[in-house]
Order: sequence, then C-alpha cells, then structure tokens
Amino acid sequence: MSHPHSHSIYLSEAPVRKPQAMGNSLLRKIQRACRMSLAEPDLALNLDVADYINEKQGAAPRDAAIALAKLINNRESHVAIFALSLLDVLVKNCGYPFHLQISRKEFLNELVKRFPGHPPLRYSKIQRLILTALEEWYQTICKHSSYKNDMSYIRDMHRLLKYKGYAFPKISESDLAVLKPSNRLKTASEIQKEQEIAQAAKLEELIRRGKPEDLREANKLMKIMAGFKEDNAIQAKQAISSELNKLKRKADLLNEMLESKDSQNWDNETTQELHSALRVAQPKFQKIIEEEQEDDTLVQDLLKFNDTVNQLLEKFSLLKNGDSNAASQIHPNHVSAPLQQSSGALTNEINLIDFNDLDETPSQVNNTNGAGTSAGAESSANDLLCDLTDLSISNTPSAAQTSFGLGGDIVLGSSQPAPPITTTNSSNNTLDLLGLASPQQPTNGQALNGNGFDFLSGLSTTSSTTMTPARTLVSQSSNLKIEFTISRESDSVIRIKSFFSNLSSSSISNLVFLLAVPKSMALKLQPQSGNFMIANAEDGITQEGTIENASANPSKTLKVKWKVSYFINSTQFDETAVFTLPNV
Amino acid sequence: MGSSISKIMGKLFGSKEMKILMLGLDKAGKTTILYKLKLNKIKTSTPTVGFNVETVTYKNVKFNMWDVGGQQRLRPLWRHYFPATTALIFVIDSSARNRLEEAKEELYSIIGEKEMENVVLLVWANKQDLKDAMKPQEVSDFLELEKNLNNQPWCVIGSNALSGQGLVEGLSWISNNTDVPKK
Repeated sequence: MSHPHSHSIYLSEAPVRKPQAMGNSLLRKIQRACRMSLAEPDLALNLDVADYINEKQGAAPRDAAIALAKLINNRESHVAIFALSLLDVLVKNCGYPFHLQISRKEFLNELVKRFPGHPPLRYSKIQRLILTALEEWYQTICKHSSYKNDMSYIRDMHRLLKYKGYAFPKISESDLAVLKPSNRLKTASEIQKEQEIAQAAKLEELIRRGKPEDLREANKLMKIMAGFKEDNAIQAKQAISSELNKLKRKADLLNEMLESKDSQNWDNETTQELHSALRVAQPKFQKIIEEEQEDDTLVQDLLKFNDTVNQLLEKFSLLKNGDSNAASQIHPNHVSAPLQQSSGALTNEINLIDFNDLDETPSQVNNTNGAGTSAGAESSANDLLCDLTDLSISNTPSAAQTSFGLGGDIVLGSSQPAPPITTTNSSNNTLDLLGLASPQQPTNGQALNGNGFDFLSGLSTTSSTTMTPARTLVSQSSNLKIEFTISRESDSVIRIKSFFSNLSSSSISNLVFLLAVPKSMALKLQPQSGNFMIANAEDGITQEGTIENASANPSKTLKVKWKVSYFINSTQFDETAVFTLPNV
Repeated sequence: MGSSISKIMGKLFGSKEMKILMLGLDKAGKTTILYKLKLNKIKTSTPTVGFNVETVTYKNVKFNMWDVGGQQRLRPLWRHYFPATTALIFVIDSSARNRLEEAKEELYSIIGEKEMENVVLLVWANKQDLKDAMKPQEVSDFLELEKNLNNQPWCVIGSNALSGQGLVEGLSWISNNTDVPKK
C-alpha cells in the first residue's frame, strides 16, 4: 500500500480548517439535545441551547427555529418529541428574538406539516404537543407580549387550525404563567438592555426579509435605535416609577390588611402574595439607587419606601409567629401616591417597535376549502420560485433552505387579502419585553435572608426569625418555597442542601427537582428525602448534593438552572429559573 | 410574477447576485456614490439617518448595495447589516486627512468581526477631485491592509462620485474577486 491516500483519515498538506464555527456548533447542540439515543428530553442540554442562543443572538434564534422545524418533521417520533420539548424551552427562555422567529409564516407552516386538511379522529402525540404549544403561545405571547403585533401569524395559524376543525387542549394557568410578563421591578439599565436586544433582533429580521415595507420599518427602527437613546432612558425611568407605584399600592394594601385584628384578614393567599412581591422587589431598590444616584428625589423616595417595606415585612413575620403585641407596635407609613394620570399614555409610547403596520404588512389566512390542494395553488410567487429552485442548474445549499416554509396541507398563504385584525395597545406591562420570568421568580443573585434586605441598618429594630441566616431563598411561589444552604467543602467543591417548604394549604405530591450546572462542573445529587409534603410543611423535603470542579473565583458567578415539578390536587405545576449562587 | 420569471431566467443564464455593504465615516460620500451608480445623477443628500438600499446591475451581476449612515451614533448599528454580506465597500474622504485615523479604526473594527471574516474588501478613496486629496496609494499605505489582511482579497481604488470615476472599476473588481454561488 504505497498510495498515500489509501487511508480514509490522513493529514493533507493544507492546514486543517475548522468549518464555520458558529452555525455548526449551534446545530450540533440542537442535534445533541434531540438525538434518538436519549431516553427522555434532557433539560440540561435544552437549557444549554437556550444559553447559547441568548449569548450569540444575531442569526442564532433564526437558525435554531429552522433546524427545529426540520427535526419536528423527522420521521422518528422520538426526535420530533425531543425537538418539541427543546422548542418549548427556547420559547420560554430566549424571549422576543426567538418569539419573532416562531411567528414567521414559514416556520408555522413547517410546524403544522403533519396536520392533514381534515382533523384525524385521534391526534398523534406529536400533533397534541404542537396544538398545546400553539395554544400556549396564543394565550400568552400573542396577548401579553409587548410585541404582540409581531405575533400575528401565530394568531392566524391558530385561527386557521380552528377553522379546519382542530381542537386545542386547555392549558393550565401555571403553564401559562411562565410566558406571561412579570411585574418584576427592573432597573433602568435592565430595561434598556432588554429593549436593545429586542430592537436589534427586530432590525436584523427586517433586514433579512428585505421587502420594501420591511425596509421602511427597518429605517424607522434604526432611527429610534440610534437617535433616541435619551428617550429610551427617560422611558426606562418612567417605567421604574410606574412599577414602583404599583408596588407601593401593594404595600399599602398589605399594611391595611395587617392592621386588622382578625387573623382571617391577614393570614391568607393575598397577603402571602403581597408579602412575597415586596420581598422579591426589595433587593432591586439598592441597585436602582446605585444607578440613579443623581436623581435625589427618586433616591429619597426609595429610601423611605424601603423603610416601610422593612417594617411591613417585620410586622408580617411577627404576626406569623403569633406575636401580635409586638406587631401592633409597628405602624408602617402609607406610601402610595395618587395614580399618575400620565402613566397610561406613557406605556403606549414605550412600545417603541410596535409599529401599527397592519396596512402595510397584512397578515393573511388562507381559508379556501379543499385544503389538500390549496397549498400549491395559493402559494405566492416567492413560493413558486422555491418550487422551481430544483430546476436551476446549480443546486446550492441555499436552494435547500429556500424550500423551508412551504409547509404541508395547512399553510398560511400570502395571496389573499387579510381579514382585519384589531389591535389595541392596552397592556400596562409593555416593558416586560421578554416576558420570560415567572412572576414569582426572585431576582437573580440576590440572597434574601430573614432580614430581607436591610441596607439601612438600624432601621429595623428586631430581626425576623422565620429563617436562619445561612439559608438563601432560591424561589418562592404561592405554593412552594425553595431554599439552599451553600457551603464550600474544598477549593473545588461546593455543597448545597436544598429545602422545600409547602406554602399551600394542600399537600404537594410527586415533587421532582432538577438542577443543571455549567458543563465544566460536575453535579452529584443525593436522592431527595421524599417527594410528598403535607400542607404547610416546612422543610418537608430536603436534598443534598455537591458541585465539583467549581473553583472559587469571585469575578465569575456560578449560575445554576433549576426546575421543579409537582402536583397539587392532581394539577401539575412547573417552576423553573436560573439562580446565581452567592460567592462562597 | 414577472420579476420571479426574470429571476429564473437569470438563473439559467448565470447572472449572480450579491449583497454589498457600503460603510464609512459620515460625509465620506456613500449616498452620493450609491445614487450616482443607480441613477447616474448627483442627488444632493442630507446626512443619512438610517440606510438606503438599491440594486445596481452591472455586467449580469446584481449588486444589492446597502448604504448605511456613518454618523457616530449609527456606527454601533452597522453590525446588524453584516449577515450574508459578500463584499464590504469602505468609503473614505481622501481630503479629510485629520479623520483618516478614525476611519482606519472603524474599518478594522468592522473587519475584525467574525461575520466579516471572509468578505472581499474594496476601499474607495473618494473625493479625488479635491486638490488636497490623498492619492489612493497614500490611503492604502496608511490603512496598512497589506500587513494586516491575509485571508481576504482587498483593493484601494481612487474615486470621484461626481464624475463617476473609479466607481465602475470598483464594481468590476468586486465581481472579478468574488465567487458567489449562482442564485
């Protein structure tokens, strides 16, 4: 064998070239998360894809959506199911840039390729999952997102399927909650950051589409992005003050309820919710104060409000512990100002890239009868061109791409006049651009312990005793509280013990807690102490684990992702978020 | 429909189409060049806030030319126009010696981006009609492209948007130095 190329692997003269890194590593990650050999959808792998997209932005959300649409139509139903589970994770974690991609007509047409023109007697699992996803989007991002006008094709597809006779499953409130905008208090820089990401995603999408009306929009948007930075800052500030006003009203409400002598009036779900809303928001106060130092009025106002919140939290915990005498000594101030007249008008203006463009880019529903044939006949000139790409002399890779979005029997066409869609700008939550955090979710990276967040030391006279200080609150919803104790065992090993408490008045069953750490580290979890908690059980379930290879590095925060699912009265609840471990 | 048929015909007869991104500092003459090429007219333009895009066909090649405003506050947005770019045209006001350093910095920050790694680079040393304009060679030396670029073809051509001098040469150079798949 003297021929140098007789082996299939050999080093050639030319340097080994890495193929285009970005696109392929995204696709590799997606394929890994959807590979057949998996036993079930792998949350850690899915979240890894979400992280990657959030970091890269640019073309990543689009590439991911296209790849997923193909996998969803894979012949292996396993692969399709994994792809749908990954799709769900991306929709919930990648925010507007990804929502923009799933609302493309081409994507939606691919998504429903498995749907015949007439509904089958019984839906396949994949069809059910797709219907569930569409219904979830329809109920959430199509209604509540600040950019709901960009989601019109999802509404159209939903309507089209309904028209064809498909029935959508009912979605539980808790599943919807994840995609609903949160009323989380954010600092000005956070608001602007979110706005910039969303605007950039929109601009790139418009440039990619490149139709005249898209380019007009892109030009408008660019002016806003470049010229109105100041405006963005002002609007962010107004958003903060409107969010603060909401919080203040909550504080006053809680205050009134706690004044009541009758324990029925303060020991209920509403007070719990108000209490946790305040607690979760409090760590943001300091951040806002740091960012808005020059704004003396705001700072003073916030300091005063913080006092009140501290008093309220303390009073609440005293009452909880049955010490109503001490509690009655505390009289928090009334804080909320009269409702600001301007806030309604403002929220509309904040909606910077909600173009009222329905005349320019009408959305269409292809609702001819005889669905089987409508796809070909109704497709636009563009689609015709796609059909013909096979005839062209050079079959470039992009030719394969252009056939994307032709769909199956059910398609959103583009050659019919649109039914008018009325849109209103009524949402007050217009600034929750990405709308991905669940309302109960605590702020990342803030350790909340029993003292709340007491940066004005000395103002609260006694510290509350509900928790030991070493505990860090990870999450608190109306049902479940999760806390960690975190300690460093050695230079590279962190020990975590998690405590679960049932805050609801029913028992929690089948609780499963999942944790994911960065790939460079190894996670070892002991089995949970159980998966059942009676009503109001404190620390009803615990679990211990270690993170290895986590060296102490104060400049790099360690983030973990967690997901918990459980049942209350046979209804399933899911909660998930990212948690930043405090430095230990 | 008519346009799609002509696109198909174009495919059969091997015309190609490419995205050209035209960038540069403000007042370099990007918009004037664009409309000189498109309309063969001098369109007095105000500073571009946003972008212009026109299709210029030259020798069977369709150039989709994107001219993005060059004012300081628009520059951070340039990167959104990078995807799918075949060639970058960087326009320089050859008479503004005091802004050459700034132009050089911007140029290098563009071609340092991953997405722009493989694009063909044409520099138009514009405003050659002005008498204190630097010659293309001087501009080229200043930009030190020879030293710093080794992966991609580049070229500095003197141009005068008013007379059209250098413009067709530039497009022709791009066309000869790109091998885009026929679309």
